[in-house]
Amino acid sequence: MSDMIIRTEKLTKIYENGYSTVALQGVDLEIPRGSLSCIMGPSGHGKSTLLHLIGGLDRPTSGKVFLEDLDLTAIDANRLAEVRCRKIGFVFQFFNLLPMLTVLENVEIALMLAGVPPKEQHERAGDLLALVGLEDKLQARPNQLSGGQRQRVAIARSLANDPDILLMDEPSGNLDSKSESELLQNIEKVNERGKTVVIVTHSPTVSQVAHRIYYIQDGRLKREVENFG
Amino acid sequence: MTRGKLVLKNLTRKKTRFLFTVLGISVGIASLVTLLSLGTGLEAEVRKQSQELGAELVVTPKGWCAYEQISVLTGETLPEAIPNADVEKVASIKGITAIPYLVQRTAIKNQPVTVVGILPEPMKQFKNWQVEKGEYRLDRESLVVGFSIAKQFELKTGDKLTIRGTEFLLSGILKEMGNRDDLVIYLDLTTAQKLYGVGDKVSFIAVKVDDITRIEQYSQEIQERANVAVVSDKQLIKSVMAIVGTVRNTLQMIAAVAVLAAAFGIINTMLTAIHERKREIGILQALGGKRRTIFFLFLYESALYGIVGGVVGLIAGFAFSFFAAPYIQQSEFTAFLGSAQTVEIFNLAVIGQAMLFSVLVACLAGIYPAWQASRLSPVEAISYE
Ligand SMILES: Nc1ncnc2c1ncn2[C@@H]1O[C@H](COP(=O)(O)OP(=O)(O)OP(=O)(O)O)[C@@H](O)[C@H]1O
Ligand SMILES: [Mg+2]
Repeated sequence: MSDMIIRTEKLTKIYENGYSTVALQGVDLEIPRGSLSCIMGPSGHGKSTLLHLIGGLDRPTSGKVFLEDLDLTAIDANRLAEVRCRKIGFVFQFFNLLPMLTVLENVEIALMLAGVPPKEQHERAGDLLALVGLEDKLQARPNQLSGGQRQRVAIARSLANDPDILLMDEPSGNLDSKSESELLQNIEKVNERGKTVVIVTHSPTVSQVAHRIYYIQDGRLKREVENFG
Repeated sequence: MTRGKLVLKNLTRKKTRFLFTVLGISVGIASLVTLLSLGTGLEAEVRKQSQELGAELVVTPKGWCAYEQISVLTGETLPEAIPNADVEKVASIKGITAIPYLVQRTAIKNQPVTVVGILPEPMKQFKNWQVEKGEYRLDRESLVVGFSIAKQFELKTGDKLTIRGTEFLLSGILKEMGNRDDLVIYLDLTTAQKLYGVGDKVSFIAVKVDDITRIEQYSQEIQERANVAVVSDKQLIKSVMAIVGTVRNTLQMIAAVAVLAAAFGIINTMLTAIHERKREIGILQALGGKRRTIFFLFLYESALYGIVGGVVGLIAGFAFSFFAAPYIQQSEFTAFLGSAQTVEIFNLAVIGQAMLFSVLVACLAGIYPAWQASRLSPVEAISYE
């Protein structure tokens, strides 16, 4: 338990718009460095909310989130953006890519936001897309790609700034089983390179490859399962 | 990928919306440019023309409105309404020189030209005219012309000029004066009166006084003796400027309204764009885009509307000034606005002002939408359906 890269303390999120929705309640969670973990649970029970809080995309109502020793709830919006830029890579379920940019540009933009000069952006984005097998689609637009290809672009982009942590929200949610297993291969490849990967998923195929599974129900951490394959 | 490239790509995504927003600014800027280029040097021009007249007082028929008074300066055709009896009454006052004008029009090669009937000798002294070529003879058969008329229509002394069906000998060409006098054909007053069938009437009388401190008294004396009205050159300038001011204010209002509407157009376009791109903004934020980054991405987009709209507006405005100026000149009311010296096409100051204004307005309009975009929470942007 010594090397936990992500740690939450009594994490609670209540959405207030007109009426209160309790999305998360006192979640204590620890995720080891270099692990491949899954978050599972019924729909609407707080999985995405948890992922967003871990990734510094949103702020909890109470409780804390630690990335290594950094308390994400104690830093300002600018620092938080910085953390998202350098330490975390996101892959969302549906909408990941900017439609007016090419595949290559979609990856370059993550590097641009990190301050990488254009020429270097170009090379690195090309390498990353080769890694996910899209070297022949560099100039394609997102709407010319299949769902699986789009997710691969998103994975390539999430790796752009060499983050420690990869957060994926139902990455295979709208993929067929063949695309899903291709995606899983990519994810395992990334994990083997030392990245900590956290996947929100409903898919048993995905959860099979995970080292750990966290079950979320009614906004609480119900159970935590170690998986040795 | 650079920020500039990203902004450009976003800007031109919705082609028609882009076009109409740009058009909105262009109209505003075009009207501004027209206003600026027509308005430069206006007041100086008015003063110059009243100086050229060389008179301190102008005697006009009673009941002339300001527009007609201005025509004294612009050389437009005037109703002839002061009978000779009044001219003589005015002339007989001690201490003043009275110079009657009969202003009419004719055409040379289908182009309108001003014809002025004058008393040859008094006028020559009054204006200090010199003869460039030929001799200064104005009578039933001969006339003289201003320098520019001769040049424009390639006239030589000895040529025949037909005015209202009567042939005249061009006896002399005046030395260049550098003013409106160069653009006139001069006839002997009585000859002109016969030719145009106006009896013994003249259009107006320019009056030079010996003692400038007594202008008020002279003005009163003239009005007591003859059935006429008198305006001083200062009043004339004032009424010209008043009219010019009205025209200018109207143009300014139009420009202001047009620019304001364009600003709202930009705000509207940007807010719509931000609404449509909420998810994209969320992705940029998830990728590490800071609030400042998002803010400036959208602000630059607005600014580009200002730049593109400004350029298009400048071109349209100059084109309008260029093509419309001759027509404006033909209307006596706006003759001052459009006189050749006041229309400066491709004036650097105008270009600078218009571009600056355009970009400034676009940036101001862009601040609120950009601020809204930067305030979006990443989660809200991403979970947006
Ligand atoms: N922005 C929001 N405003 C208000 N309520 C929200 C918001 N986002 C989520 N919720 C609510 O919080 C609860 C948890 O939502 P969350 O998206 O975390 O569920 P989930 O477990 O990811 O579900 P799914 O498997 O369907 O994606 C739900 O009841 C949802 O309605
Ligand atoms: Mg979810």
